[in-house]
Amino acid sequence: MPTRRQFLQRSANGFLGAAAGALWAADGKLPGALLPGEPRAKSVIYLFMCGGVSHIDTFDPKDNKFAGTMMDAIGFGDNNAAMKRPVIPILRTYKQYGKSGIPVSDWFPNVGGVIDDISVVRSMYCHQTNHFPAVIEHTTGKPLRQFEHPSLGSWVTYALGSANKNLPSFVNIGRPSSPVQLTGGYLGAAHSATPFQPGDTPIPNLVPPASSTRAAREKQMQALLDWNQEFRADYALDSEIGARLQAYELAGNLMRTAPAIVDFANEPTHVKDLYGIGAKETDDFGRQLLLARRLVENGVRFIQICHAGGGNGSWDAHGDMATHAPLCRAVDKPIAGLIADLKQRGLLDSTLVVFTSEFGRTPWSQNTTGRDHNGKGFSTLLAGGGVKGGIVEGATDEVGYKAVDRPHYISDLQATILNQMGLNYQKMDFHANGRAFKLIEEGTGPIRAILR
Amino acid sequence: MRISALILLAVAAIAWAQPPKVKLWSLQPVQKPAVPALTPSGNPIDAFLAVDHKAKGLRPNGPADKLTLLRRASFDITGLPPTPAEQDAFLADAAPDAYARLIDRLLASEQHGVRWARHWLDVLRYADLDGLDGSVMTAAPGIYRWRDWMIQALNDDMPYDQFVTAQILGNRYGGRPQLTVFGTRSRPEVNPADRFALGFLARSALNGGDRNQEVSINAVETISAGFMGMTVGCAKCHDHRFDPIKQTDYYAMKALFDPLVLRRVDLATPDEIYAYSKALDAYRRAKDPIDRDIAALTAPYHQKLYDERVAMLPPDVREIVRKPDNKRTVAEQKTADDYFPVLRIDPPKIKEIMPKEEIVRYDALLKQQGALKRPADLPAHWIVEEDSARRKEPTYILTSGDPAKPEKDKPVKPGFPFQPADLDFRDGLREGFVSWLTDKDNPLFARVAVNRVWQWHFGEGLQKNPSDFGLLGGRPSHPQLLDYLASEFVAHNYSMRWLHKLILTSDAYRRSSKPEPASHKTDPSNTSLWRFRLQRLEAEPLWDAILSSAGDLDLTVGGKSFQVVNPDKKQSIFLPKDGTFATKTTRRGAYMTRGFIPSTEVMAHFLQSFDVDDGRTPCPVRTQTVTAPQALFTMNDRMVESASAKLATRAAAEPDLPAAARRAFRETIGRPPSATEMDRALSFLANDPAKLKDLAWLLYNLDEFLFVK
Repeated sequence: MPTRRQFLQRSANGFLGAAAGALWAADGKLPGALLPGEPRAKSVIYLFMCGGVSHIDTFDPKDNKFAGTMMDAIGFGDNNAAMKRPVIPILRTYKQYGKSGIPVSDWFPNVGGVIDDISVVRSMYCHQTNHFPAVIEHTTGKPLRQFEHPSLGSWVTYALGSANKNLPSFVNIGRPSSPVQLTGGYLGAAHSATPFQPGDTPIPNLVPPASSTRAAREKQMQALLDWNQEFRADYALDSEIGARLQAYELAGNLMRTAPAIVDFANEPTHVKDLYGIGAKETDDFGRQLLLARRLVENGVRFIQICHAGGGNGSWDAHGDMATHAPLCRAVDKPIAGLIADLKQRGLLDSTLVVFTSEFGRTPWSQNTTGRDHNGKGFSTLLAGGGVKGGIVEGATDEVGYKAVDRPHYISDLQATILNQMGLNYQKMDFHANGRAFKLIEEGTGPIRAILR
Repeated sequence: MRISALILLAVAAIAWAQPPKVKLWSLQPVQKPAVPALTPSGNPIDAFLAVDHKAKGLRPNGPADKLTLLRRASFDITGLPPTPAEQDAFLADAAPDAYARLIDRLLASEQHGVRWARHWLDVLRYADLDGLDGSVMTAAPGIYRWRDWMIQALNDDMPYDQFVTAQILGNRYGGRPQLTVFGTRSRPEVNPADRFALGFLARSALNGGDRNQEVSINAVETISAGFMGMTVGCAKCHDHRFDPIKQTDYYAMKALFDPLVLRRVDLATPDEIYAYSKALDAYRRAKDPIDRDIAALTAPYHQKLYDERVAMLPPDVREIVRKPDNKRTVAEQKTADDYFPVLRIDPPKIKEIMPKEEIVRYDALLKQQGALKRPADLPAHWIVEEDSARRKEPTYILTSGDPAKPEKDKPVKPGFPFQPADLDFRDGLREGFVSWLTDKDNPLFARVAVNRVWQWHFGEGLQKNPSDFGLLGGRPSHPQLLDYLASEFVAHNYSMRWLHKLILTSDAYRRSSKPEPASHKTDPSNTSLWRFRLQRLEAEPLWDAILSSAGDLDLTVGGKSFQVVNPDKKQSIFLPKDGTFATKTTRRGAYMTRGFIPSTEVMAHFLQSFDVDDGRTPCPVRTQTVTAPQALFTMNDRMVESASAKLATRAAAEPDLPAAARRAFRETIGRPPSATEMDRALSFLANDPAKLKDLAWLLYNLDEFLFVK
């Protein structure tokens, strides 16, 4: 807790004007888990497609020879009854892109254009078969939510602390599938995600009401320090009162810095075009990704962007695979733009971009032209942050149902991210009551084949 | 606090340690200890605490000043700030029993129940809405009647055993026949209002899913944690690692609630029912022909799609599906059900194969159909009741607690943890359990209750984990005091009013909250209660305090919860549109909607940022965080902006600026400004009444406004 003198000194800079510096923000809590040397990635942009992207219609091409045949499969959602279900044709055309010649479907032509910067892991799997549990599994590394297990992003900020005391270090943009994706769990609320909204108000109440001027507010903030002094002197031994000062400082810093970060006025048109900003279908997601880049530039460690969230998520194409088309159009260009933009700024090497969803989709249909949930095999894309480009890792079986070649449990993705951020996942423990809680308890560790 | 409690649970469930062979303190009979030498207050609580202070060489703080006490007691008992008139009255009352009469007045206020029901509702997981999209809480439209029942019960000082009994049985007197003065035996008459108490059990049922399993699983977990202080939930998947609770105990207790089914209780008057029936009839008459036209129009396309899909099925399944329902065997029916989703045909699919001109007709019909308004639902409330057929069905252990995975070789008889040898279910399953639970010799029942009440007054319980009186919950700091309170609570017929008054009139409650350095060094966590704990206002009293100072607070007791969030239009399809929620936002914070569904916000950001849980799990202790979003709320939220303007207007009505400043202080922090503060205020105002609004803003952002000294 700052002394009264420090507190008055800092306040001399003005609450809305000062950069508070590293006086109070918590630093990393897991120094013992740091890997030697410089971390490969300073930030992660984690793109989560809510509902489940069909891997076989996007990044994992399969022969259509099974179309129309009946396959031994299981039931729908939570129903795991054994039953036969009809494989439906893949209506996409695939094209080989870049020097690597990795095939990408016609739903992702722009991502195809930067495929040489991307590793495609085609052998991801998880245990859960329905959205909520699978999202929880994907986020916390635990197949059930019996306890308050924290999310991946909160583990990262817990372990590494903050790189910019003016901003939260774990930010979420877009409505998630589950609040678990934001939770700090037993690591504490301080490590949970701060939700940013795209647009002019990233955090509620960030801007004073129209009837109050900034100058008047500045004067009030100065007076507030004065008016609080007797109470704060009386209760200096109560940590909550010290926390009040800090809370107002961070609030002031957010008011000062966040509006500039979300203001794209100074971004040149050619950069906005890269993200598809201004075009109807790509504008929303493009803005979110540009905001993500700007947060990376400002030292935010973990930026999670949930696309098409709410309920099961719009990627949940049971009815008709065609419902994927507008979603793919909405994200394809912005993702390619983000990778290109990071690259041209020299930020791609230190920024790990991940594209994933809670599971993939089955080769067979449920409703003639849609596909069901499939946790047994799906694809995840990684780019930058020390990940090789133009690589395909692992494979599903010939129909695209199960990961069979070098399968990777979802924890391997988490281990890869942590590894690139300079963390030894095996040493990341949260101790309570004589037990060590871990994020990762299954799988084979970082996906070494895709790392430089 | 809540987090650490959860970690304890986690350890209990995961660690594979053998249960240590010690006797659990909380299962030992409550023994009323002798009261140590009384202190000048004459209050036994102080006598017990004084022994501790003496042993630790602690000098407890003296009493807080009158206005501090008034603000503390007002927020604690009614959740409301003291008005300037109340401040004047209390200051003017120089009688020795002025404080005791203040407590009586506050406890007699109808707002007392509003405040204290919120505490219990946190523990019992009240929510206005819960569930998944498409399978939301069935009881949502009437659930507030359970909350209102509880407010009434607390205001009536319903004895605690009846308070609990009513929520489990829907009848505060239990099911046991009683001997009348004439020597005949009869069951006590049911108080009709107590049916609303069953909202507690009905609240868990979700549309779709297995309603009854939800009810019984949640009943076990909430009742055991809430009223027994035992984490029986740990035994859902395996025997409790530490406490003497077996997996069979969990399912035995579940068997008590397995026969329950959900029932809708109509609350409409005959006139309303007639009016509704008439409107419904008119609606149907208008809709039926349209439905028939739609069916006729779509039938051939529907059939075509259906036949195509059936043709895609494996031959054996095809044959089963083509059989009429009543010709299928049980196994065949199961197969047909498994494949049902494949054969479901949604309207958009039909449209895809319809010729254009038919689509035009189809759309026109759909439009006509959509234009018809179904009459609004009649008022109703959901309760549970025992179903005789279900009563005959055995309860099984469920693998991993999954209702879809009963272990049919492991049937379980009804019972409960720590059940007596002479288990008596003659009056009914729940009746037998409740009679054991509320028995005056049950060592858990009164201890858990008085500890909760203590916690809500002092900010921390004598036992710090109020829902875990097991081995990992820790031991009480003052076991003798806890047992004294528990035994006297029983002796005073479980009167919560009596318990409140005993606590509120103790010296312990009246102490100044200032952390004296010497005492703080000896006991920094104040376990010995040498001072009153500084407490951050909870969300609801904060909301009320802002509205009250602005002169805006609507104190109407009870009624529908109100919604302050603007749901995302694209995502709000699962929010009830039947008037379940009200929109007037100047009511007390206790009536603000809470809950969770995935697709859209149910709970205001305000509640979330001030540490209110969404009601999906029991919340025995609210965390008290101090964060930047909270600061941003009092700095910039429109509510505070509008309140600042209104408070300024109220203050400006005073004769001069010093009086205006004085009024503003008293409306917000419950006391007039000191001389220094008045100087500051006047220099800030610089003779400009227009600056009163900025001054009001300052007061809302003071630490002293957000904290209760």
